[in-house]
Amino acid sequence: MKGNVGRILRVNLSDRRISTEEIPGEMMGLFLGGRGFAAKILWDEVMEVDPLSEGNKVVFSTGPLTGLPLPSSGKMVIASKSPLTGGYGDGNIGTMAALHLRQAGYDVLIVEGRSDRPCYIAIHDKKVEILDARDYWGKTTIEAEHTLKEKHGRNIGCLIIGPGGENMVSFANVISQENRAGGRPGIGAVMGSKNLKAVVVRGTGNIPIFDEARLREMGKKGYQEIKEKQNYDFWIRQGTMQVFEWCNENSCLPAYNFREGSIPFSKQLDGYAMEQVKVDRKGCPLCNMQCGNIIVDCENGRAEMDYENVGMLGPNIGMADLGEVGALTRMADEYGLDAISLGSCLGFLMEASEKGVIDERIDWGDFEGCKGIIENTVKKEGLGEIIFEGVRKASERVGGDSRDWAMHIKGLPISAYNCHACPGMALSFGTSPIGAHHKDAWVISWEISTDRFSYGREKVEKVIELQRLRGGWFESLTTCRLPWVEVDFGLHWYPKYFEAVRGEGISEEEIFQLGDRIYALIRSYWIREMGVWDREMDYPPARWFEEPLSQGELKGYKLDRAQFDEMLSRYYEMRGWDENGIPKAETLEGLGLGDIAAVLGKNG
Amino acid sequence: MAEFKFLGYLADLYGKKRVKIPLDSARKLRDILGVEFPEDRSIVLINRRVGNFDNLIGNGDTVVIMPIISGGGS
Repeated sequence: MKGNVGRILRVNLSDRRISTEEIPGEMMGLFLGGRGFAAKILWDEVMEVDPLSEGNKVVFSTGPLTGLPLPSSGKMVIASKSPLTGGYGDGNIGTMAALHLRQAGYDVLIVEGRSDRPCYIAIHDKKVEILDARDYWGKTTIEAEHTLKEKHGRNIGCLIIGPGGENMVSFANVISQENRAGGRPGIGAVMGSKNLKAVVVRGTGNIPIFDEARLREMGKKGYQEIKEKQNYDFWIRQGTMQVFEWCNENSCLPAYNFREGSIPFSKQLDGYAMEQVKVDRKGCPLCNMQCGNIIVDCENGRAEMDYENVGMLGPNIGMADLGEVGALTRMADEYGLDAISLGSCLGFLMEASEKGVIDERIDWGDFEGCKGIIENTVKKEGLGEIIFEGVRKASERVGGDSRDWAMHIKGLPISAYNCHACPGMALSFGTSPIGAHHKDAWVISWEISTDRFSYGREKVEKVIELQRLRGGWFESLTTCRLPWVEVDFGLHWYPKYFEAVRGEGISEEEIFQLGDRIYALIRSYWIREMGVWDREMDYPPARWFEEPLSQGELKGYKLDRAQFDEMLSRYYEMRGWDENGIPKAETLEGLGLGDIAAVLGKNG
Repeated sequence: MAEFKFLGYLADLYGKKRVKIPLDSARKLRDILGVEFPEDRSIVLINRRVGNFDNLIGNGDTVVIMPIISGGGS
């Protein structure tokens, strides 16, 4: 089948065995690539193991559009059983490694086992080696990438962990090209548990395409269409940082550990403030709307400013200086820590300190204090030890009423959107397949443009539609959704690209079914791995239901628990899941997942 | 006076982030601003309620016009 190379590379770090295998045609048909492949592989191969044990695996997975001359296609999915949540974890990352892996002749790399010493995997087409990484161990992600490029040349793709991953901080991620990050559910920690510092890839072959001439022509038109979009220039100026002002205006900024949705000092941190100090722009391969804005931070480092990072390491911890926020963001990238989770953990500690739940003192906006905690997190010392396993475990440890304001769902800290007055987004966070992340269904614009405070059926339908497209289609293709969602690049292009690549078309119904299948599979994975399951797993923290916003234009607003529950039931019903959010046997069978129905039935 | 606020690239399109305009009588939003906005990519809030470019605006109203965006990165 064109469009997929059709091959998996498997590297076992325990017995150092390296092998390849063909991807079955049925798997390509049912799961497409990227996230679909990753979920299927984890379901088949990683069950009932400790996420940091030898039995877990890291799946680096591309899709049929990855690495082709199409807008923003330089993406890869990285997935494992998550040490942060205990369930399915993945993230997408923009990286040259995605292109190179496919050009080397593989759609997927599976890393399994555990090396007895620090190592890295070097792939150069068919030559695959497990090499000694003792010289790189302990280095930051940026130092390690520079050193690896000195050895292997600049024309490579690197996927690297920092000291955070090496020491298995539960929210350690994977970094590429210095600031591209992915795998926030602790995929970096899984690499660290395997003593795997990095994957270095160089590929020189061609990716099979059914109609290359047509694809190139359509790709060129796509790039041109993006550049002609009315908001393209503004996007180039601010990228995702434009979201900051927008969220503050709409009371959905994360402020003071998600207590508030707006701040009076927004202008010090928003996209316009960033433009004043911006020195460079960078981004992922094959992208002509690169969103990485580089500033020089307060310590003269180069920091990449993205809305999520700035939201969580800015207002969420009471920081009002963009240069200081930049320095914290840079530290997170260097150590290979997920900045969203880090901001949530720091906010949690600040609130715990304020309330006297912990004895140690850390105040809102304490820059030097935050730096110290980040250093100590990697060393598992002091306050860093409390947050080492993420905010859920920190809450279990400090006790009190902290469960109500430990801002996570299923163990994954909520990304940078306050939902006191966004019921649809709260549902999106609640039902996201990795825990509370926004990538699958960012629905806030839609809900504000319709009936913001509604818990109605149409809102549930919208969340599912976005999950099908963003979480199913884009994550499996695997290509970046931002051209479509941010500058209104035509969604109609993607089935055309797919057809030119594969030589066969795909209908809207098939795209939706793909999304539903992947969602049912991932949900089943969670249920199997957790052993017990009920609808409370999909609830946002009590803060959004119990403590109304105390300032801003939406002062007094909070979520209504009974109405949220009704909305959740409606969601389950539309998905064909039961009242506890467990896919029904007939739903799984209808999606071609009858074997999974049998396993869930046995467990149930 | 009616107060108008523009977010994101729509502020560039209008040329200002904020403006106050005195209105003798209520007029349609699109007639007041004199700039063609991408209506299918814009959200209009009038006194914090969802509106559109055909709504009548009078003195004392507060209007926010913002782009449809889609959240942060990966």
